[in-house]
Amino acid sequence: MTIEPDKTEMDALDAMLADVAGKKAEPSADLLARVLADAANVQASAAARPQPRGASGFMSPLWAALGGWAGAGGLAAVAAAGVWLGIAPPAALETVTDVFFGSSVTLQVFSADDVLGMGI
Amino acid sequence: MNKLSPETEAPDAALLIAFANGDAGAAQLLAERLLSRTLAQAQRMLGDRAEAEDVAQEAMMRLWRIAGEWRQGEAQVSTWLYRVTANLCTDRLRRRKRSVPLDAVAEPLDTAPSVTARMQSEARAKALSDALAQLPPRQAEAVALRHLEGLSNPEIAAVMEIGVEAVESLTARGKRGLALILAGRREELGIEDDD
Repeated sequence: MTIEPDKTEMDALDAMLADVAGKKAEPSADLLARVLADAANVQASAAARPQPRGASGFMSPLWAALGGWAGAGGLAAVAAAGVWLGIAPPAALETVTDVFFGSSVTLQVFSADDVLGMGI
Repeated sequence: MNKLSPETEAPDAALLIAFANGDAGAAQLLAERLLSRTLAQAQRMLGDRAEAEDVAQEAMMRLWRIAGEWRQGEAQVSTWLYRVTANLCTDRLRRRKRSVPLDAVAEPLDTAPSVTARMQSEARAKALSDALAQLPPRQAEAVALRHLEGLSNPEIAAVMEIGVEAVESLTARGKRGLALILAGRREELGIEDDD
């Protein structure tokens, strides 16, 4: 069986709660000083902590603009693809270059037996 | 008339981020805004000035430490601080419960007039705190936030990270429990019946 408080007991509790609820508490100068000293220590510790690599120095904005490591990885992949296309262009790409630049023409400035170009 | 500087009017969260960025003035402003309320909450719940000071200092220390990770808009600093302070207080009440036997709280120690006269408001606060220590921690927390801090049920729900209905249930059960624990001490504590 649950015991329930009667009205008098609840009223007494309400009076007590109201009494305590009205209490203010002003921090002493000593407590405020301790709290501010804690704050200063936390700030000093945070300032002394080494910055993560790549997040400092004059290259930092450029690094950030490239997207950090993820961005640099993408750039490297694109560069590698470009090199490969230069070495072994697919047939379709050769057709495109032919349209833009035409067939290759070999020019011979000097005759094969006149290497020095002096006609001798 | 003094005009407040923009920094003085800044929200707590903005000051906290400024603090994390190394602004020492932000710590002063936050302490001026929050320390008094935090200390009062701890003192009302614990009924002991020295313990309340320790809790207030610890709660503020946790605030300084979390500043670097604070994300604006995620939570209100005041709500977060209510939660941390209430948790620190219930931890202390739990330890006190182990050291204060139930009998020492529930039964009148002495009802002699001299004792009754000595019972000042500090003693009532301590008795209330001892009684809170006898409650399950979540009930004690809900009752304190509702009836000592004057928070609304939705505000308590945010602080305790539970639903409003759970808050209502916790406060109702907690208050009944408190009334029964304190029933035997009314005369000693100088609380008179209303009727």
